[in-house]
Amino acid sequence: MPALSSMALALVASLAWAGEGDAPGDGTPRKRNPGEYGPFFEAEAPSDSVHGEALQRGEKPVLSVGNGAFCFVDGSWCRASLLISAGVAAGMRIPASNAGPDVPYAQFSVHGGFVVRPLMYAGRTWHPWGLGVVGSWSRGTGSVTARGTSEDTQVRETTRTDATRIALHNQIWLSKKAHGFHLDLSAGVVRSAVLDSGRSLWGTHAEIGVGIGGWATLFAGGDFLDRDARVMLGMRAHGIGAGPLIALALAGMAIGGAL
Amino acid sequence: MIASALTLLTLGLAPDVQRPRGLEPSAPSDVVAPTEPTRSPDEPADATTEPADASTDASTDATAGDPPTPTDPDPAAVSEPAAESSPAESGETFRVVAGNGDGAPPYYTKADLDAVRRRHGLSPEPAPDPRKVRWRCLIADPLCGFTIEMQALGAFAPRFRQGDVRERSARRWSSGRAQYDVWVNLPVLTEARGRTRYTRMTLGPKAGAIFSDTGDTWGNLGIVGRYWLGRGRFAPAIEFTSALAFKIAHRRTDELAGSQPRYEMQRGPVGITADVGLSIGGYAALVFGGQYDSPLAREDVPERFRTQASGMLFVGLRGNILWGGPAATAVMAHGLTQRFGQAPR
Repeated sequence: MPALSSMALALVASLAWAGEGDAPGDGTPRKRNPGEYGPFFEAEAPSDSVHGEALQRGEKPVLSVGNGAFCFVDGSWCRASLLISAGVAAGMRIPASNAGPDVPYAQFSVHGGFVVRPLMYAGRTWHPWGLGVVGSWSRGTGSVTARGTSEDTQVRETTRTDATRIALHNQIWLSKKAHGFHLDLSAGVVRSAVLDSGRSLWGTHAEIGVGIGGWATLFAGGDFLDRDARVMLGMRAHGIGAGPLIALALAGMAIGGAL
Repeated sequence: MIASALTLLTLGLAPDVQRPRGLEPSAPSDVVAPTEPTRSPDEPADATTEPADASTDASTDATAGDPPTPTDPDPAAVSEPAAESSPAESGETFRVVAGNGDGAPPYYTKADLDAVRRRHGLSPEPAPDPRKVRWRCLIADPLCGFTIEMQALGAFAPRFRQGDVRERSARRWSSGRAQYDVWVNLPVLTEARGRTRYTRMTLGPKAGAIFSDTGDTWGNLGIVGRYWLGRGRFAPAIEFTSALAFKIAHRRTDELAGSQPRYEMQRGPVGITADVGLSIGGYAALVFGGQYDSPLAREDVPERFRTQASGMLFVGLRGNILWGGPAATAVMAHGLTQRFGQAPR
């Protein structure tokens, strides 16, 4: 619900702004984004030399339809994009002080979602802000709990920790380059088993990341549940890159008899 | 409003032949400049379009009190620009019909540029690069800028694990290593030849998974660099990577002989892995590297969850999976290692 409310507010704000960019009647070219100035809005500096080839040809975003109206790989000039990726992360699992020791935590995850650029829909040629909804599923290492007195300590563990997350996703693109950098901020909820209780609870999920186009994102995030917090640093790559590698890994495991 | 008035005033006073801002006289002149450069037929063609000369001539004529008298221009030089001119133009057009001829800047014509190229020892025309990059830069090439790569490694890997710390011993065994990574290559050093930009060096993040015997599985997150030693499709390059490596899963040795050996998650502290390789283009590289896994040995961690320091060296083939060779090598190394490799108990 907060995500929908934010998107609605953003759309209203963008439509209210759109009237300022109307074409003047004297025939002069329309100035699309009046008043915009700064590094986010500067065009590419001209150069005498260019690379012979690139992942993206011309102005049309790679793997897009409608000249960027919808992109299967997020890009700086995409008005709406599909997010789908897989990644790994490592960090710490930090239970409550009387619940057990801090132990290393690692996970692999799949991540997906949808992001739009509201102000680019409202008639602006380019705007750095993107808003969307993302979800992810991860399987991480288990917990270690130690309760009781020093003479009678009960030590228990779990073999794995699954987590499902839903979050509001904000993007700030830092460049107009096709595969430019962008800041990603996500805040939402996580549902996961807490320590060795065997019961799943809702908690808070937050994440900040640096994306490189739609191809990869370096992120630092955390899941904060009752008496069980996990913080991690990781990277995820677009499914186009990660998918074939996952297939190869599964093939290797199958040949090795591990599946 | 003020901007519009200034624009109209400027259009009214401006001559039809634009001259660079820096060459305009400081005070406006009452003399209207000729619409086309004036030139005597016996004058050398090289002096026709120098804006500074035109300005100086106009000022000189105004001082002498003689209005500028257009002489008979060269029809070949004047008729074409005159035909292209239209009343709608604001006089902001600067036409060049000949080079300056004295070898000094500014250089306008092909003859001027040829002279400059000769002076600097360059060939008359920059040779166009005849190569076409294949796979749309999904296999790295010096002609590409930003690239994404899917890399796979299959390697022989002698492994070791710390033994009894009182005896400073280590357990060693031979194994294999398979690694699957996504690389993001950002060009950080380029060189230009003609109008073609070549990438000399790339740096960027990478992440992936590492597999070895006993189901040992690590994630890795790090940085990768590549320095190109040439500009061809199969140009050699030096690749270097370093990454954090963290244990994700394993398959317990004592259950390998059972009917249902379990492949399960396993925690471990963050270690490090690094390697260096010599590659042929972006296709494949011979790689040598190592990995170190930090121990988990804190006193507050129950003993059965503690792990020993361990590591491996490895030498193998790594490359882009798109052409098949490295992918097959990695999958076979992965499968054979998991099927036949076992850590010592």
